[in-house]
Amino acid sequence: MHFCNRHLSPLQRRAVQSLGACLGLTAGCSMVARDVFEQHHPSTTVIYLLAALTTLPVVGIVTIVGRYLARETDEFVRVMVVQSILWGLGITFVVDTFLGSLWPYPELFKLIPILNIDLFCVSVGFAIRIQMWRNR
Amino acid sequence: MKNRLRVLRAERGWSQADLATRLEVSRQSVNAIETGRFDPSLPLAFKLARIFETTIEAIFNEELAPK
Repeated sequence: MHFCNRHLSPLQRRAVQSLGACLGLTAGCSMVARDVFEQHHPSTTVIYLLAALTTLPVVGIVTIVGRYLARETDEFVRVMVVQSILWGLGITFVVDTFLGSLWPYPELFKLIPILNIDLFCVSVGFAIRIQMWRNR
Repeated sequence: MKNRLRVLRAERGWSQADLATRLEVSRQSVNAIETGRFDPSLPLAFKLARIFETTIEAIFNEELAPK
């Protein structure tokens, strides 16, 4: 049981593949919702429904991570993943706070809106990489 | 926590990967335990003791706080 790309356990491989699919769905749902909001000016009910729809992949990601942690038998890997999740949360909060503080200044805020969950997952991925390197 | 894992492993000529296979954990786990970066749970400590046919106390030594 190793924790690197070439030697993922079946459990880890399934979790990574499911997370990738959910990330793609998150981005897809958000783009579709944004397109509908901007192009079709839907009713309030549809707006709420679409907004709720975009949260489903996020619920999926949380569920996948939770199930993975519950089934991972290697306690060190479990601790490493939990620590990486904390790093991911921290980075997401910092970036969110920074971008949030720029919100009143649209002339400065020309960044592509960042999906929190995508930023979170990428941060967690980097944190896991760093921890793997530290414990190589 | 200090431990004698590296010594015990070397005495048997096992690599970290060999011990990891016996423990059913990742090699990184063995490395982290050996270097003291990670303290194993009680079940894993018992498993280590069983594999090395010794006691937990013979593997792990409580580090004395500096005076």
